[in-house]
Amino acid sequence: MNSIDPVGLTNTVLGGALLGGLIALSAVGLSLVLGVMKLVNLVHGQIVVLGAYMAYYLSAFWGISPLLALPIVFVLGFLFMAPVQRFILAPVARHGEEAGLLTTFALAIILENLFIRIFSGDSRSLDTIFSRETIAIGPINLPTIYLIGFGISLAVCLAVWALVTRTSFGRSLRASSEDPISAAIVGIHVSRIRWGTFALNGGLSAIGGVLIALCFSFTPSSGSEYLLTAFAIIVLGGLGNIMGTFVGGIALGIFQSLGAYFFGDGYRTFVGLVMLIVLLAIAPNGILNRRRSL
Amino acid sequence: MKNGMSVLLSRIATPTRVGRRDFIIVAALAAIAFVVPYVAGTYQQEVGFRILQLGALAAAWNIAAGYTGLVSLGSAAFFGLGVYTMALASNAGLPIVLCMILAAVVAGLFALIVSPALFRLRGLYFTVGTLALAEALRIFVVNSPWFGGQAGIFLTARAPKAFELYWIALAIAVLVIVCVLVLLRSRWSYRMQAVRDDEDVASQLGVRTYRTKLWAFGLSGALIAIVGSVQALNQGIVQPNGGFGISWTIEIVSVAIIGGMGTKVGPWIGAVFIVLLGEFLIQFPEIHMAVVGVVLVLVIRFMPNGIWGTFTLALQKERNFS
Repeated sequence: MNSIDPVGLTNTVLGGALLGGLIALSAVGLSLVLGVMKLVNLVHGQIVVLGAYMAYYLSAFWGISPLLALPIVFVLGFLFMAPVQRFILAPVARHGEEAGLLTTFALAIILENLFIRIFSGDSRSLDTIFSRETIAIGPINLPTIYLIGFGISLAVCLAVWALVTRTSFGRSLRASSEDPISAAIVGIHVSRIRWGTFALNGGLSAIGGVLIALCFSFTPSSGSEYLLTAFAIIVLGGLGNIMGTFVGGIALGIFQSLGAYFFGDGYRTFVGLVMLIVLLAIAPNGILNRRRSL
Repeated sequence: MKNGMSVLLSRIATPTRVGRRDFIIVAALAAIAFVVPYVAGTYQQEVGFRILQLGALAAAWNIAAGYTGLVSLGSAAFFGLGVYTMALASNAGLPIVLCMILAAVVAGLFALIVSPALFRLRGLYFTVGTLALAEALRIFVVNSPWFGGQAGIFLTARAPKAFELYWIALAIAVLVIVCVLVLLRSRWSYRMQAVRDDEDVASQLGVRTYRTKLWAFGLSGALIAIVGSVQALNQGIVQPNGGFGISWTIEIVSVAIIGGMGTKVGPWIGAVFIVLLGEFLIQFPEIHMAVVGVVLVLVIRFMPNGIWGTFTLALQKERNFS
């Protein structure tokens, strides 16, 4: 790497930005749960992996293209996580915040080992007709799948943003997040809101996993990497700020691609992790955040 | 952790009075454990090694998490530092005991270096920060040119026999127990528990919270690194995913919680439980870990003080009634 090639660098940065926006979708749910339930959901990464496997088997058994499978995967993810909150997490909430955190940690252990048992440790990837195509804009070449994923991610993030800011569910959600006791006093069913938020996290993370799996291969053990990447995005974008999360994803994608460009591909995740630690230490509420709450 | 006065961490087994009796019990148990290699076979020695190893790790983790409230998911970082220090130092020709001390020093320095960033994080954020730190360190070791990459480093030192490993592990286990007991007798334990229960109030009362946390975190990490250095001898080859693997963190946390966080005896009970369960399910390592996860969920929900904490609580109640 003697001289920096401007076209290559632009290509890297644009690709990174698209990829980051795409990955941001998997962080939105985590951000909602952290904002509303004040819960660090350590099983998040495994749900992302689960979404990828769902799409993989839907395509392998019924030939459903991963992109068409997105609504199905969303519903499955939603249905999978709803009882987890109701029957496993809600009862331990009274034991304090570590209890919830460590319970999700235990769930992550269970799921990851079940994945290895059921799906084997092999690395898998999702294929669509766009997988090997690129779109050329002048000298810049971008993978088509990155553009499609970016578009889907943006659309879903906008939908979630509208849900949170424009609907009555969203109003209750914001109220429960800001002050659960007052929210309960004015008649908001806080536990139902939490249940809905957690299930929503399941659905969003699962489709986020499909998008990631369209770009990278995955294994049953990819979960912790996805979790930490999602965290870096949230911290960049600001807690509970949905469009901030999307922008944070783009920023992280650019930083990661620059890291990979200058230090080698192995350092892609490393850059994100170091950024996460530094950002947590200097700006725990995020650098893009203007308001603390949702 | 203002509103987080969690049941999982505080109260109950806290007023641990450590007396001479505890040291005598430890000495007696150690003497019994010492003769095991004379009467038992290699298999029993290996299982014993695993129990001592996991118990020592969980007891060391407990110093930071159970008594000081620093719930770390970055134990693999300290363990891996110990593993790699042993590999590099022993290959350079240093004697084994010196390598172990060096491992502790390296881990202590590492705690010192990362503490300014980590200790700005409270509660859940601290936990996430430590998890990220351990992963960052693992990826760094995989990619950097100095540590043998994915392939790892072979140890040139003579591989110790099963009984030697067992005795080394026993010595380290005794070291960890003595550290914990001495700590619990000292004023440090009060400062640590004050920081755990409410950091702001502790600071108002004049506890130097940063220093207290650093000592607890550093000591915990140094002890974990010493255990890690023995693992390098056990394996004969060190690799990033083996040394810095998150599976170590998972085992440490499971053992400590199932046995009972913030208790003296809990980690050892948890270690016996998990190792014996592992031997029972030896054909199915994934099923073993999945079962551990289920047990963990159940313990957190129904016995938040762990096996030992619940047991001592019941005993106390009994005594109060009679």
